[in-house]
Amino acid sequence: MSSISVKRGTSAAHRRTPGAWAVLLALAVLAVVMLLPFVIITFNAFKTPAEYSSHGPLSVPKGFYLQGIKDFWNRVDFGAKLVNSLIISGSVAVLAVILSVLNSYALGIGRIKGRVWILVLFLLANTMPQEVLVYPLYFLSKKVDLYDTRLSVIIIFTAIQTAFGTYLLSSVLSTFPREILEAARMDGAGRFRILWRVVVPISRPTLGVLFVFFFIWTWNEFFLPMIFLISNENQTVPVALGVLQGQKMMDATMTSASALLGIIPAVVFFLIFQRTLTRGITVGAVK
Amino acid sequence: MLKATKALAALAAAALALSACGGGGGGSSSKELKLWHYETQDSAMGVAWNQAIKEFEAAHPGVKVKFEEKSFEQMQKTAPMILNSKDAPDIMEYNKGNATAGLLAKQGLLTDMTAEVTKRGWDKLLPPSVAETAKYDAKGVMGGDKWYGVPNYAEYLQVYYNKSLFDKYGIKVPTTFDEFTKAMDTFVQKGVTPLSNAGAEYPAQQYLYQLALSKADKPWVDRYERYTGKVDFHDPAWTYAANTFNDWVKKGYIAKNSSGLKAEDAGTAFIAGKFPMFFSGSWWYGRYEKEIKNFQWDTFLWPDTKLTLGSSGNLWVVPKGSKNKDLAYDFINITMKKEIQNLLADNGGVPVAGDPAGVKDPKNKKLIENYQTLANNDALGFYPDWPAPAFYDVLVAGTQKLITGSAPPSSVLDGFAKAYNENLSNIGH
Repeated sequence: MSSISVKRGTSAAHRRTPGAWAVLLALAVLAVVMLLPFVIITFNAFKTPAEYSSHGPLSVPKGFYLQGIKDFWNRVDFGAKLVNSLIISGSVAVLAVILSVLNSYALGIGRIKGRVWILVLFLLANTMPQEVLVYPLYFLSKKVDLYDTRLSVIIIFTAIQTAFGTYLLSSVLSTFPREILEAARMDGAGRFRILWRVVVPISRPTLGVLFVFFFIWTWNEFFLPMIFLISNENQTVPVALGVLQGQKMMDATMTSASALLGIIPAVVFFLIFQRTLTRGITVGAVK
Repeated sequence: MLKATKALAALAAAALALSACGGGGGGSSSKELKLWHYETQDSAMGVAWNQAIKEFEAAHPGVKVKFEEKSFEQMQKTAPMILNSKDAPDIMEYNKGNATAGLLAKQGLLTDMTAEVTKRGWDKLLPPSVAETAKYDAKGVMGGDKWYGVPNYAEYLQVYYNKSLFDKYGIKVPTTFDEFTKAMDTFVQKGVTPLSNAGAEYPAQQYLYQLALSKADKPWVDRYERYTGKVDFHDPAWTYAANTFNDWVKKGYIAKNSSGLKAEDAGTAFIAGKFPMFFSGSWWYGRYEKEIKNFQWDTFLWPDTKLTLGSSGNLWVVPKGSKNKDLAYDFINITMKKEIQNLLADNGGVPVAGDPAGVKDPKNKKLIENYQTLANNDALGFYPDWPAPAFYDVLVAGTQKLITGSAPPSSVLDGFAKAYNENLSNIGH
């Protein structure tokens, strides 16, 4: 079975059918469409404001103007914003994965009573728009003296991401092979030992994927961080980018420069963990 | 895999440790004035206020100004929450208007500084139509009896024109409304669209409102903006405005394809020399000075009108929770001094208490003289979107219909009236 498919694969690589060409063309067009915004942003990031105003956003930059990026970096103290974003996204990703595992161990494998309702509750919490959460969270954080601290944002997003993580992981773990669990129990492993020595290692690819997603989602969050991180020293990268959107003015070149700076960390993170991502998906598929 | 896990664990531990110690800190050992505003550093206000901070620190040894540049959006969305917490700044810039500063005043989040304003004589520096947006009544409607803010600068609309294009087609700068329309006719005959416009944002409604203002008077503006009387959207002023705007689109003064454009597009199209005229605010002035290099440009006020769009700029407000109110007033006082006001003017801003004689650049001088003409004639007619929250979007939708011709002027005016009156009943007038 596998040898046949391999043979077919190699022959297809040598002479492509019209259908394959069409797919290739469609993919190429899609790639261009996806990359075009990044190209335009990169163009505008390296233009002088005057050049932008007189030639428009689509023209190719004449020189290599770095002042916009430098100015933006200094203006918002971008290094400090990067550290803030890293701290918040990193903590949230780790904590949310740990909590999701604990929750879904009880829900998916432990099969506790009323788990369907608990999952429905989590799902509902997930569909809640953040605007609804703002005021309750604001008053709560003020009561416990956490307003305008990074810790408040970490707690909030850990809860939000855990809600999704629990929902997803519970359904993954509910299909966990029972025989393995039985075998572990026969060998005298306790609940915690089974979780730590059996369940976690086997589902590690899935956890890796969750970790990466939690990190990137939290990194890109704008609305709640904007409301909870009011001091400049606590702000994250997306909130700092907002400084450039004035009341009546927008500085298109500097906005592009900042956008470029803003997406680079997420892209780098993705490239580092790309293998984890693909592995997670393929392992899941085999199972 | 094991390595990756260890690295992750280390990262997480480090992150948690960092975030844990991030909570404290920032203790106030010596005196500190916490100041927030959202103007960019190289704008006229940014430059002038930086200088004011320096002078303030020189005059108050032992006091440090802790300045933070905020984003406009963050201030718009979070100001009530911030001011209601212990993290409120001592002094901050905030938007003028009923839905912004008025609302905060009504909620009791701003300090009533009437006594301070009269004691320090700021009321004498500010002409009535500028002061109107700094004073609010108990309902948070502007033009009230209590001062909740102090504006440093003003803004108004004028026609920016491209001298090179005017010369090329042999057109004189218009001084009357007749000459203005004749000039536009000539441009159209030469195949040039005379007015730069943007239908998706404020420029289109500002053309429309200016047309209405040219047939209106101050009580008309008061009725419209301050709910002092009944507003009829089918009165001569509004009817004239909608019909004329409609005509202008038909005659080609305003391009039909401008309905989907943003203000930024309209402004940069003028910079690129694509349109001979753009009627817009003094907020473009500094940028035009810096960025227009390929042609000569100048400005003129909208001809033959008693009123034109404009108002005070944003306000300095002192939050109720400010811990250093006296220092905040001292700071405002410095920003109202002649040197700071003239510095604002030198950088292309419109100071409220500037002195044209002290301004070097002739073009900047004209900017201020034009403003003083308007202020002294009580000719600032504010903006059309102020009366109701989200009225801006109603105006955008209406003017877009006029540009594309998808609805007749009278039904567009009906649409305005409906939204306007809904708001009136909401606020209990």
